[in-house]
Amino acid sequence: MNSLLAHRRVRACIVAGPLLALLIGFLVLPLLIILWGSVEGSKLSLAHYQRVLSTGTNLSILLNTLKVGLIVTLVSLAAGYPVAYLLTRMKSRSFSIVAVFILIPLFTAFLIRTYAWIVILGRQGIVNNALIWLGLTSEPLPLLNTTFAVVVGMTHVFIPMAIFTMFSSMVRINHDLGLAAQILGAKPAQAFLRVYFPMTLPAVFSAGILIFIVAIGFYITPSLLGGPADTMISQLIVLQMTTLLNFELGYASSVVLLLVTAGILFIASLFIPLEMIWSSSSVVTSDRKPGPISRGLAVLKRQAHPLLVFIETLIHLATRPFLTTNGRWLWVYTILMLIFLTAPLVVVVILSFSSSPFVVFPPPGFSLQWWAKLAHATEWHASFLFSIKLGVVSALAATVIGTMGAFWLVRTTLPIKRPLFLFSLAPLMVPVVIIATSLYVFEARIGVLGTFTGLVIGHTLLCVPYVIVVMAAALRNFDESLEKAAAVHGARPLQVLRLVTLPILKPSLLTAGLLAFLTSFDELLVGIFLIGRQTPPLPLKFWGDIKYQIDPLLSTASTLIVVLVTVTILLTQWARVRHQKRTSADLAE
Amino acid sequence: MSTSLEIKDVQKRYGSLHVVRDFNLHVQPGEFVTFLGPSGSGKTTALKMIAGFETPSSGDIFLDGRSIVDLPPYERGIGMVFQNYALFPHMTVAENVAFPLTVRNVARHQVQEKVSRALQLVKMGDYSGRYPNQLSGGQQQRIALARAIVFDPSILLMDEPLGALDRNLREHMKIEIMRIQKELSITVIFVTHDQDEALTMSDRIAVINEGKLAQVADSESLYNSPADRFVASFVGESNLLPCRVEDAGTSLARVIIADKAPGLARLSGQERGDAGWLFVRPEHIDIDPRGGGTEGRNALEGVVETALFLGEMSRYIVRCGEATVTVKRQNRGRTPFPAGSPVVLSWDAESCVVLE
Repeated sequence: MNSLLAHRRVRACIVAGPLLALLIGFLVLPLLIILWGSVEGSKLSLAHYQRVLSTGTNLSILLNTLKVGLIVTLVSLAAGYPVAYLLTRMKSRSFSIVAVFILIPLFTAFLIRTYAWIVILGRQGIVNNALIWLGLTSEPLPLLNTTFAVVVGMTHVFIPMAIFTMFSSMVRINHDLGLAAQILGAKPAQAFLRVYFPMTLPAVFSAGILIFIVAIGFYITPSLLGGPADTMISQLIVLQMTTLLNFELGYASSVVLLLVTAGILFIASLFIPLEMIWSSSSVVTSDRKPGPISRGLAVLKRQAHPLLVFIETLIHLATRPFLTTNGRWLWVYTILMLIFLTAPLVVVVILSFSSSPFVVFPPPGFSLQWWAKLAHATEWHASFLFSIKLGVVSALAATVIGTMGAFWLVRTTLPIKRPLFLFSLAPLMVPVVIIATSLYVFEARIGVLGTFTGLVIGHTLLCVPYVIVVMAAALRNFDESLEKAAAVHGARPLQVLRLVTLPILKPSLLTAGLLAFLTSFDELLVGIFLIGRQTPPLPLKFWGDIKYQIDPLLSTASTLIVVLVTVTILLTQWARVRHQKRTSADLAE
Repeated sequence: MSTSLEIKDVQKRYGSLHVVRDFNLHVQPGEFVTFLGPSGSGKTTALKMIAGFETPSSGDIFLDGRSIVDLPPYERGIGMVFQNYALFPHMTVAENVAFPLTVRNVARHQVQEKVSRALQLVKMGDYSGRYPNQLSGGQQQRIALARAIVFDPSILLMDEPLGALDRNLREHMKIEIMRIQKELSITVIFVTHDQDEALTMSDRIAVINEGKLAQVADSESLYNSPADRFVASFVGESNLLPCRVEDAGTSLARVIIADKAPGLARLSGQERGDAGWLFVRPEHIDIDPRGGGTEGRNALEGVVETALFLGEMSRYIVRCGEATVTVKRQNRGRTPFPAGSPVVLSWDAESCVVLE
């Protein structure tokens, strides 16, 4: 008995070891160093915090960050909700098509999308040209370098995220409930407001939290699309660490951002189980009694009842003409939204065939000159190959570490299972800019800064949570009696793993690996800090060029990446459909 | 308060698929009518058209003489119990039951009164503060029922409401539903694929096959005089033996059963010389050793192929030439027939019908 227990412990250590080493060694430790540094070590000085919070500019940057984050979150949720709703009602074929149109922008690098918005919103951009052509304005409007541009660019980034996060919870709501409400006498507006919408609130809320905490740590979009007044806190931290070299102030700003994020997550945890934000499938609906907050809301609702009825009636009258059995207007809206999501990519593709030496849209003529140029641009080739190499190595490392970790997290009998799962998702909670700066400081100390290893560690850290989310979901659905069946039939533990467990998990492993690869392929901030003198990976190369000059060569490189992403997504969709068909006997639904 | 329902020439097509055809039915006020049919027979589609979730391709539906096909579901005033109950998980039991009243802006004191009356009726008065996921399947079923009747609906639709319950509970709920229906004397349309439910609960059963009404009748006539082979085999167990009409008499006709034995049977519209199927229930057939007297009854000789002991009775599969016949016999201390025994089967002419 004792030896068995020891055996199990040993096994747990082997499986959990790499994950814990990665998280503690390269996330917790660097963060502690930053915290320590921000108070000047044992001096425990709060002077830098004082500077962050009392200086007018710094404080206004913080407030501006929160403001932009809030606007972007609300707009993305509102814009994405109808699409997510329609997705839950779609037949599988239309679903696959619409999903591809949302997945492509979702997985296209932030940089490419931001670049597209520069082209669209610029002085010579499509919007301004169109406005002038229509005679609505005589000279170009200053659209770029405004809060408007930042919000548009960021919303474009977050809408696909909002759609998929909300969809993954909404899809589990039974549409019979809506029918039940209607046959019991609820008008469509009432059925929606009283039954469907309240049930989707946790999904909306968790999507909102996800978007907000990512948005307030955003770097690329505000730096490229915003003006000086739109500076966000990530930019401030990067500036302090790289240009001003005021490390302690940078540390303090990082800690402030971290605390804000932690505070938001804490508040969120009062309403929803936190893991729902990143992996909605892991949440088991509990018999939990409603907390004081929802009871308070119920009282409030009763007080406001007459007002609610009035609003309901208004909405009923307003929406009535648009309600058709086939949801025509919802489709119209969704298609418009898909156009909004994909149009920037289309612009980029068209520009890549421009005959003009400048970025003008529409291009004056067709030419392959930029493709020819790209074919000879050796530094782009080097970056591309380096990105692939970096992505493959990081994805492999993350998949192995994350899968082992997921096994441990799902199957451990430790009582602190839930906190452990949340801890393993920490790299998703900590703003990327803080991960980047803390690793920069830490890796400099241990002497791997500027090496390939150093870079891989950073990317693996960022990719591991995605692997864990995917694999933990797959493992929870995995029927463990299959392993017992294999064992009874004579398979030893490693054979069980090789012959039964891993083959069944193969589709999820591929998804996890692909997600990890794309995350690494699209990563900029960690790269900026950890790259040293190595070949810049694609996003870095892109970043340097965008800041230096905007020419159609960037469109050409972007087009290539968009095509690669599209092909990958189509292939995975195809593989998924094929796998589903083959195993559809197992899936009762 | 009870209401009549009339379905007139209703058709439903999805593209080239004709799911409901020539549907005509008149349901009396206070009547309990069951739509019985295999899955995919169109019974649920028919129910959805009454509820308003689907629109008939043609035809009309009247509630109390008033056409309702153009009304949206929420203006039809129909109560409905869903297969999976469709209780709103974010509302308490009381809020769920109050829902039909609150969306109609009924005054608060009236709501409370009606909700507690409905909960009393389903014997769930003590559970009003619970949430649906804190209740067992049977309790959820009762709440769904209370919610469907709390606003005095004109009729009550039930879509396979007992399907998710285990057997004991199902027996119990059958009786409960019948009690409540009698107490409220409400018109009920009940959809099921379970013949036991249909036979026990209904005033009349509408058997649906491939979108068409095969037969509408009370339980007894349905069981004893099925209109066609589908009804005969779908409702209860039955033997269908090939036969040919020799002579169409006034009440009983002379037939040749399974190409060899002469016999008598009721006809269902066949004429002399027609081929058909002789329908007889397994429990109406007597099984005896060969050589006994079978005067005045239809008789077939055969050999026992399988003998199954089922406790209160035994079931025999008997081979009579080409045909096999199922026989059920009560075990009242009689010696069983082992497989291989030569036997003679006999039954009354009144208990068999020739079907197309």
